[in-house]
Amino acid sequence: MREMRKYREIMHVYIKSQLAWRADVVFNMLFTVAKILFAWLLWGMVFRERNTVADFTFHGMLSYYIVSSFLSQLEMSGGISGEISARIRNGTFSNYMVMPVSIEGYFAAMEVGVVLFYLCFDLLAAMVWIFVFRIQFLFARSAVVLGCALLMTVLGLFFMVQLNYFLGILTLKYEEISTFLMIKDNLVSLVTGTIVPLALFPEGVVGVMRLLPFYYVTYLPSMLFTGRCAEEAVRGLVVLGLWCVLMQWAIVVTWRKYRVKYDGVGV
Amino acid sequence: MTKVREWQRMDNRKRGKDMNIIETRQLSKTYRRVVKREGLGGSVRSLFRREYEEKQAVRDMDFSVREGEFVGLIGPNGAGKTTLIKMLTGIIAPTSGEIQVMGFCPNDLKNDFKRQYAIVMGQKSQLFFELTTNDTLRMFQEIYGLKEREFQETKAYFTELFGAEKLLDVQVRTLSLGERMKMELMAALLHNPRILFLDEPTIGLDAVASRQIRGFLREINQERGTTILLTSHYMEDIRSLCDRSVVINHGQKIYDGETGELFEKYQRDRQVTVSFDQAVERTELPDGAVLVEETPYKKVIRVPREESGALLQRLMGYGPKDVIVEEDEIGRVVERIYGEGENREER
Repeated sequence: MREMRKYREIMHVYIKSQLAWRADVVFNMLFTVAKILFAWLLWGMVFRERNTVADFTFHGMLSYYIVSSFLSQLEMSGGISGEISARIRNGTFSNYMVMPVSIEGYFAAMEVGVVLFYLCFDLLAAMVWIFVFRIQFLFARSAVVLGCALLMTVLGLFFMVQLNYFLGILTLKYEEISTFLMIKDNLVSLVTGTIVPLALFPEGVVGVMRLLPFYYVTYLPSMLFTGRCAEEAVRGLVVLGLWCVLMQWAIVVTWRKYRVKYDGVGV
Repeated sequence: MTKVREWQRMDNRKRGKDMNIIETRQLSKTYRRVVKREGLGGSVRSLFRREYEEKQAVRDMDFSVREGEFVGLIGPNGAGKTTLIKMLTGIIAPTSGEIQVMGFCPNDLKNDFKRQYAIVMGQKSQLFFELTTNDTLRMFQEIYGLKEREFQETKAYFTELFGAEKLLDVQVRTLSLGERMKMELMAALLHNPRILFLDEPTIGLDAVASRQIRGFLREINQERGTTILLTSHYMEDIRSLCDRSVVINHGQKIYDGETGELFEKYQRDRQVTVSFDQAVERTELPDGAVLVEETPYKKVIRVPREESGALLQRLMGYGPKDVIVEEDEIGRVVERIYGEGENREER
């Protein structure tokens, strides 16, 4: 319990850090509003001539769009790898090493602080606009599916924190990790269908992608929240859970092996 | 209750004064760094065939510190002072040798170990610049597991000591360098560490702020029994604070003993300034004495310490109006200390 209070306070500090800049708060809310407005206009035009697109109704599509863009906006762990890498290279990573906390726990708490901040303000902005545009939000009706979606979102965000932490500490070995980060970003885009729609891939390739964790980070939870793909929920949780265990193992091994290479130069 | 525990802890520290709180044996650290020839060709060659060179930052260092000591680490840039501190705090792993701090092997990075020391680096901050010091202190309270009463008492003690009441609620980025250093020290000392490692704490500070910081450190060492290991390029810090000094050059210890003795050993000259009511054209000087400045009414003479008495006797013969005898300039003393290290290296 006492241990948890450390991380809760770290989380508070990062929420407070976000609140220090008022312009950031305002612009972030405006950005959320602009995205919903844009989606409403765009899909409004598309649905003027038809009732459904790929089995989605107008309100179903908007619901999916709002949830998936909301979840993508919450996934901000990319900064972790960059920060760890920069701090290892300039010697200020020592700041974390001298504190009696788990460094991974520190970064996870930091991420929760940042995400909670955006969650509150973005949720507020999204709800106001859903009300203004009278979007009939479509949610899954089954409490089990909703629970799975929620758990999958948390696990997915945690996995991304783990992955970015892992890539960050690889700096201890490789000194330069931008290639790893590029591979990760492209893989995430590919698996979540951002580069090429998943429907264009052969079934076998999509099957392989479903074994990767990225499919379950924002795409599947968004589908589950809006009442689709319920049959994939349990399998998704198992796959993602296994990836989290595997990643934690990789972090522990990498840290033990390469920690001694840290030379803290630059200061 | 908290007060009683605090006193018991102080008492334990005083009783433990004869114990070594830090001990190293044959401690060495070698860095490996990439060497690249200049130009594009050198960069391409380095892509296929990487060349490294080794730099030994600390060599076979035997070093110990007793609980409650205030020890100064002196040495020119690149001497190995900061590397030694990084090894003692567990930030970096030694290449060879033994190291024990408060019974722990520092590089195991155990939380129990980290709770018992603090490190302040003049060029590195632990504070959140966009938040207030109070916000950072609250986070450190939880990180170090301090009870509310203990936290409030320690904070009140340092707020009074540093005269920092008005600084706790303003954004750290708006503080001056001197004010920020006070806040850094406060954050570092909040959990009442047994050892405080200080790496250039007065770097960039003006004379007033440096003197204040020195005053705080003296009080923390004397009143709270905190063992302090200080590196500084400012000899005034070392001379006024540290009973013991360790001089390091090229990763090796070249002096370990009383600070007073160190300065005594290397303080070879005295500077005598003498002024007259009537013009004095020539003065006879003893062997080794050098005229630094000369006018008919004033002479400034540098003389070997052992000849200063003889010089004064001769000067008295001219009926001086005023005589000022000063110690050797501190910069010259430092040059000699480091110079001796260089000569040892060459030998």
